[in-house]
Amino acid sequence: MRWACILCLLTLPAGWAAAQEGAAVGGAPVETAVAGADAGEAPLGQPAEPAPPAPFPAPAGATARDKPNDGGGAIAIRWQPVPGAMAYRIERAGEDGAFVPVGAASALENAYEDRVEDGVAYRYRVVALGPAGEEGASPATLPARSRPQWFNGDLTGVALSVVAFILVVAWFIRRARRGEQLFVRRIAGLEAVDEAVGRATEMGRPVLYIPGTGRIEDIATVASMNVLGEIAKKTAEFGTPILVPNRDPVVFTVSREVVKGAYTAAGRPDAYDPNSVFFLVENSLAFAAAVDGIMVRERPATNFLLGSFFAESLILAEVGASTGAIQIAGTDQVPQLPFFVVACDYTLMGEELYAASAYLSREPLMLGALKGQDAGKLLFMALLVAGTIFSLITGLDAGWLLSTSGY
Amino acid sequence: MNWERLLKIDRRVIFLTMALAIILPLLFPIRLTMGVQRVTRNLFQAVEAIDPARQCLLISTDYTPQTEPENHPMAKALMRHGFARRVPVLVNALYVEGAPLIDQAITEVMGDFNARATSREDSILYGRDIVYLGWQPPPIVPILAMGESITGIYPDDYYGNRTDSLEVMRRIRNYADVGIVVAITPLSSPLWYVQFAQTKYGVKVGAGCTAVCAPDFYPYCATGQLSGMMAGMKGAAEYEELVEQKYRTGGRLKATEGMASQSAAHVLIMVFVILGNVAYFAMRRKS
Amino acid sequence: MKDKLPLILLIVVGFMGLTDRFLPHPAPEHLNQYMRDTLLRIISAFALILGLGNLILRHMNRIRKKSTDWPHSYTLLISFFVASVIGLFGGVAGELWFPTRVGTFDFNITTIYNQMLIPLGASMFSLLAFYMASAAYRSFRARNWLAILLLGSAFIVMLGQVPIGYRISPAIPEISQWIMEVPNTAAKRGIELGITLGVLATFLKILSGIERSWLGSGR
Repeated sequence: MRWACILCLLTLPAGWAAAQEGAAVGGAPVETAVAGADAGEAPLGQPAEPAPPAPFPAPAGATARDKPNDGGGAIAIRWQPVPGAMAYRIERAGEDGAFVPVGAASALENAYEDRVEDGVAYRYRVVALGPAGEEGASPATLPARSRPQWFNGDLTGVALSVVAFILVVAWFIRRARRGEQLFVRRIAGLEAVDEAVGRATEMGRPVLYIPGTGRIEDIATVASMNVLGEIAKKTAEFGTPILVPNRDPVVFTVSREVVKGAYTAAGRPDAYDPNSVFFLVENSLAFAAAVDGIMVRERPATNFLLGSFFAESLILAEVGASTGAIQIAGTDQVPQLPFFVVACDYTLMGEELYAASAYLSREPLMLGALKGQDAGKLLFMALLVAGTIFSLITGLDAGWLLSTSGY
Repeated sequence: MNWERLLKIDRRVIFLTMALAIILPLLFPIRLTMGVQRVTRNLFQAVEAIDPARQCLLISTDYTPQTEPENHPMAKALMRHGFARRVPVLVNALYVEGAPLIDQAITEVMGDFNARATSREDSILYGRDIVYLGWQPPPIVPILAMGESITGIYPDDYYGNRTDSLEVMRRIRNYADVGIVVAITPLSSPLWYVQFAQTKYGVKVGAGCTAVCAPDFYPYCATGQLSGMMAGMKGAAEYEELVEQKYRTGGRLKATEGMASQSAAHVLIMVFVILGNVAYFAMRRKS
Repeated sequence: MKDKLPLILLIVVGFMGLTDRFLPHPAPEHLNQYMRDTLLRIISAFALILGLGNLILRHMNRIRKKSTDWPHSYTLLISFFVASVIGLFGGVAGELWFPTRVGTFDFNITTIYNQMLIPLGASMFSLLAFYMASAAYRSFRARNWLAILLLGSAFIVMLGQVPIGYRISPAIPEISQWIMEVPNTAAKRGIELGITLGVLATFLKILSGIERSWLGSGR
């Protein structure tokens, strides 16, 4: 998500102008009611309130408006802080006009969000509470109604950047479709795949492929499935047994289909062994123990550890190293990368894992997407630098920047 | 000197010395003073800022027995903090395997407080001061659904009570009433809360994580997306100390007890690295 | 059709997931919620049945074929059967009809959890300490200036994460925290920026049908 924040930095001028106008960007019209400036006007239909225990300065500029960019059900109340106030009490009047307390805010706060029913008009007033129990109530705001918005205007910058990125990738895919040759840099870990599978064939030992301990909704697991397809094609061609233990039952069903499909695509459906892809256990460390057992028992010549890995990464990689297997690892879990670097022969870092299937298959369209990804990254880096310079020049602080992006 | 031997110490020797380095300080405890990291203090301050009258502390756990020694003291320290401040505490488990552990933690911390209580007001009562929401799969579902209604996604608590019948749940509806969610994890659940709950509902998020995950979360602390963090057992020990210093809640401070052991283990790893390097350079010079 | 139907489903569901971030209105929100709360759970439950079926069949095969260390498969099958019977018919704490108490000895699911799962799980996790020591000793060599820098940072962070570092000098935890917050964050952000764009590109490749290996079509 952080890149999203960076992108929002680049859309600051529009967001800043919108914030200044107090308008919701891209959302439904916002009803804003301001009290304070027109404090002399008596709120209509408001019953007489008992006098506060002792006078205290009332908060000025109290406003109530539909909370922008949400799914409805909320009204945002703001006011100017009163020096010396200990806390604030927020009171609401519905259709009957009677004010009832609905919440409180500390002396440090000057905003409150009230959960309400959509479409109903509510008025608010903010009562400042003094140290000796004194009270000062702001005039009532004009009625405000909450309503849901269809688009979250806070994320306009993110949406635009996603569209820009899609266009860049699509352009490169189009270039690849036209038959243009695209250069992709060498990735040592992926160059070694053929050698690693070949070694297993020569030694007459199996290849062990661990698709991580993540779930299918983790994109690293999906990327791992794509790589598994390519590696299974190679094991099918070389006639080398492959073992694919799984931790997640959904991943297990997908990886079984992937291996079966790869053997069919390689023209060796007869060589596919349904027992080669199997489910072990959902508990990740128990899974690590079971896989360690396979490493020690079956002595695979090559271990692929590609996908989402967590605490079990070193347990798997160290035991694999102790069996003398060639190990090619890759994950997008940054804290696990150092463990793989020390214990494995090759490590794919972060996005290299996502690039792996394109790299191995050398399919022009996939390479086009990969080039598009690189170009997108370059574009974002340029925008990042430009945004940083813009931020340094204008002096806009990061906190305000984050608030415009919805954090 | 036989440098080659020093360069190839049998891994069983390493394992044995490591076991001794961990076990001995546990058998013969030494109390060590420690500083408090900024991220831990920030988390403490964030919990301090909760308004007990209208907000609650939500402790979200996704740890399993594997990381119990590191994560369990974090959950207990947070409960102690919440109870000491009379902030209602809600707890959930994102994975079923860890669910009974939370029940143990609640029983233990409630027991500690109630043993010293002199009246009903002093006591920690289930349903008034704490609710254990239990487990709802898969994790993404409760994380998002709590933004709309907590009792909606957790109609029954861990013990089978209707959550809408519990006293505190009448005023705690969704994230709008949650002062901070502290996700205690060996994985990345604090980031799920940041990505899904914070971006959508604006709730504050804190983290309690195993030391190996901590580097993942520092950037989020820097941006303020995480209000604070307990990083590993050291972070848990610091939090225990902060709560103990301010509120004198008592009870066993298990993370603090483990600090001497952890110190010894870290020092031993450094010794092995130094030995390996000395032997490596000696061999290189020789050759 | 075998290929197209999953792809169409993926495109529809993928776009719904994507729009969930941008459309706060209750209508798409409720549809997404239904898919998450109900459909995802049903799929997970069926997949678990498939997984467990596979586990049992695989180990029965191992016993039948007398594969390497085949007696271990008996351990798994017996443990699986016993734990399932105790859990399904004895209840979490022995509250159901199946007897889970002999004299003063309980053997319900809570006992299995407390007395077996917790210590076994903690033991597995604790292996990390041993493997870390062994891996660090084997691989951490100050071969060049960059490696020396890495080694120095590692020592400061290791000392900063334990009280002994504070005892040596209160500056050590401060420097350690700086290393974590500044250089670590800078490196991590660089990697994560690439990862995030990689995720989006992978999503696009799948959504546009360029990447179909996951379908099992062999392409």
